[in-house]
Amino acid sequence: MDLNWSKADLAFRDEVRQFVADRLPADIRNKCRRHQRLEKDDYVRWHRILAAHGWGAPNWPVAYGGTGWSPLQRLIFEVESFKGGAPRLLPLGLNMIGPVLIRYGSEAQKARFLSRIITLEDWWCQGYSEPQAGSDLASLKTRAERAANGYVVHGQKTWTTLAQHANWMFCLARTDPDARPQAGISMLLIDLRQPGVTVRPIRTLDGGTEVNEVWLDGVHVPEDQRVGEENQGWTYAKYLLGHERTGIAGLGHCHRELALLKDMAARTCADGRSVASNARLNDRIARVEIDMLGLEMLLLRVAAGSDAHPGPQSSILKVLGSEIQQRLARLQFEVMGLESWPYDPAWRFAEADFFGPGPDGAAAAGASYLDMRKTTIYGGSTQIQKGIIAKMLMGVA
Amino acid sequence: MDLTYRDEQRMLLDSLDRLLASEWALDSRRARARDPSLDRAAWQGLADLGVLALLVPEAHGGFQETPATLMLAQITLGRHLVQGPLIPSAVMATALLRDSGHAAVCQSCLPAMASGERVLAVAWLEGDQRHEVVARAVTARPDAQGWEISGTKKLVWAGAQADQIIVSAALGDEQALFLVPAGARGVAVQDYPTLDGQHCATLVLDRVGLPAGALVARGAAARKALESALDHGLVALCAHAAGATQRLVEITTGYLEVREQFGRSLARFQVLQHALADMLMHQEMALSLAHVAARGLGDTDPSERRRLLSAAKVGISAAARFVAEQAVQLHGGMGMTDELEASDYVRSLAMFEFLLGDSDWHLSRFQDHAVC
Repeated sequence: MDLNWSKADLAFRDEVRQFVADRLPADIRNKCRRHQRLEKDDYVRWHRILAAHGWGAPNWPVAYGGTGWSPLQRLIFEVESFKGGAPRLLPLGLNMIGPVLIRYGSEAQKARFLSRIITLEDWWCQGYSEPQAGSDLASLKTRAERAANGYVVHGQKTWTTLAQHANWMFCLARTDPDARPQAGISMLLIDLRQPGVTVRPIRTLDGGTEVNEVWLDGVHVPEDQRVGEENQGWTYAKYLLGHERTGIAGLGHCHRELALLKDMAARTCADGRSVASNARLNDRIARVEIDMLGLEMLLLRVAAGSDAHPGPQSSILKVLGSEIQQRLARLQFEVMGLESWPYDPAWRFAEADFFGPGPDGAAAAGASYLDMRKTTIYGGSTQIQKGIIAKMLMGVA
Repeated sequence: MDLTYRDEQRMLLDSLDRLLASEWALDSRRARARDPSLDRAAWQGLADLGVLALLVPEAHGGFQETPATLMLAQITLGRHLVQGPLIPSAVMATALLRDSGHAAVCQSCLPAMASGERVLAVAWLEGDQRHEVVARAVTARPDAQGWEISGTKKLVWAGAQADQIIVSAALGDEQALFLVPAGARGVAVQDYPTLDGQHCATLVLDRVGLPAGALVARGAAARKALESALDHGLVALCAHAAGATQRLVEITTGYLEVREQFGRSLARFQVLQHALADMLMHQEMALSLAHVAARGLGDTDPSERRRLLSAAKVGISAAARFVAEQAVQLHGGMGMTDELEASDYVRSLAMFEFLLGDSDWHLSRFQDHAVC
């Protein structure tokens, strides 16, 4: 065992760091560092800058336009790009439907969709959750009925992230109403630019509208837009959830937020003193930084053992990583404290030239704290993840 | 010690609860929170029940009530999330004027505040202040007509909804408190919405001329009056948060009973039952510490008063945060939306910790006044 970074690792880290410093547009960097809303074009520009450099799909095989990077390289890339102020790469195409198509899609589907994911020519959203099917996803009611040359879909999906920008949805729909819940589900690729699709934004705690409800009323899906076999959708969905094991912890996000947190504390004054001189606060910051060291090594251990029998690692990483993300957001709120009181969503969600009366970052800090409560809910809540961990521990999965 | 309710307290709380249930339901409360101008009819409804007169001396048309009654009323008001100028005007400004010893100002303001005609705010923060109460940026000097006052105050709670604002200022080497009409020449009030559905304002005073009688207090009397405002505000805010905590536990319990997953109500899952039990325990700690705060307010020893008030703020902040975060978690995705009533309580309890002194500051003050 060699616990040090190799020369090649360090060289790769420096290469990514330099690339992000040189090529990330300054306006996007500023938005990320201010916790301001990114517009569709911001994501598109960054994805295409990476794609032009051959880095558009860090976790895909070279044959499909990916980088072919090792898990370690992917982790280095993620951390360095976040630290450099880059936006996250949208996971919906790259980490979710992309790997499913690579594993289970037809050659025609791969040819049609994969390269357009890398360049964000297609923007994908996820049609999983429904108003009555959250943690209990298998109880979903959206139905796909056989029609000439395909299906007609009726149903309602919710928590659909950034559906307002999407032109495609990968959707779980019931194709056999008589089978047991998990057995009668198919995965369909739905073109959202057609009649019968309605997207309504959901206003969240922080005043934002990043998630949506999507109604599908008699939406047509051709046969060749079903992934794999009919009624096998649950298998593909589970593959998708277990596929990206290291990205789920949000380590890159954590590194960026820790740096922002320290920067905020250093440049914000309260009662005539730097907030960074508050020993109680510094203890809390140190504790979360210590936990990040542990999380990072856990990620590396999981990545190194990626061929081993799949265990509950992705659930463990999800629980630990989401809690650290929440603590970092909480600490930023504590740094700003009373200064976060005045808040208007317009200061964050429009192309604003006014960010509130407080110090830089103050208005966004309270809202980010509220927003980050989602991390222990989405993608399988902490309660669901702990259930999975316990089942695996007891060998009953 | 007697922890039973007096008949008058019981009657006040019952009638308050009835009024608030009909007049401060979700939609009307949110409409009021969005509107920067004060809903005078709703304000009059609170006055008619005596809520605005609790701390006003009998001599000025009030009820001269105890800290315990203030606390109990605020728990009920917090359950219904009644915000607006209630604490800044009916608690902080009222206590400040009452304890200023300035008979003429009390006579001109307190009866009008008790009856709901007049709303006041208190402006004490400036520059990078969060806890300090020493005015430097706002200065006053005597002139031929009385006083001239200039400078900027920030984060003035309900400042844009007030008819008059009590402003702390440096007067030479002394601290002083002035009563400034919101409409006076040279006064600019910029209103901002807040994270917790309230309003605060930046107050800019540009050579505002005031009559001689506008000086409420100076020197030691001014410091004492401002501390009384902050102490009373703290007790009210703590009780309000404890009441909001209690209501949020009820809302969350109700949601878990109705929401079904895996073929049964969420309330049937043991892990969620235990989470509710933890929330309830935190709620009871918050309510109890609100009582501790009220006891502290009645203590004649300033050190003991500060110790108990800070203890309550630290403890209730932790409880409020726990309950707010668990409420979001147990509501799942719906807890992240602004579409349920829980959202208003979550945002209010999230901000509570930072109003009138954050936990680190109160923890330090508690230790400074430790008993051996």
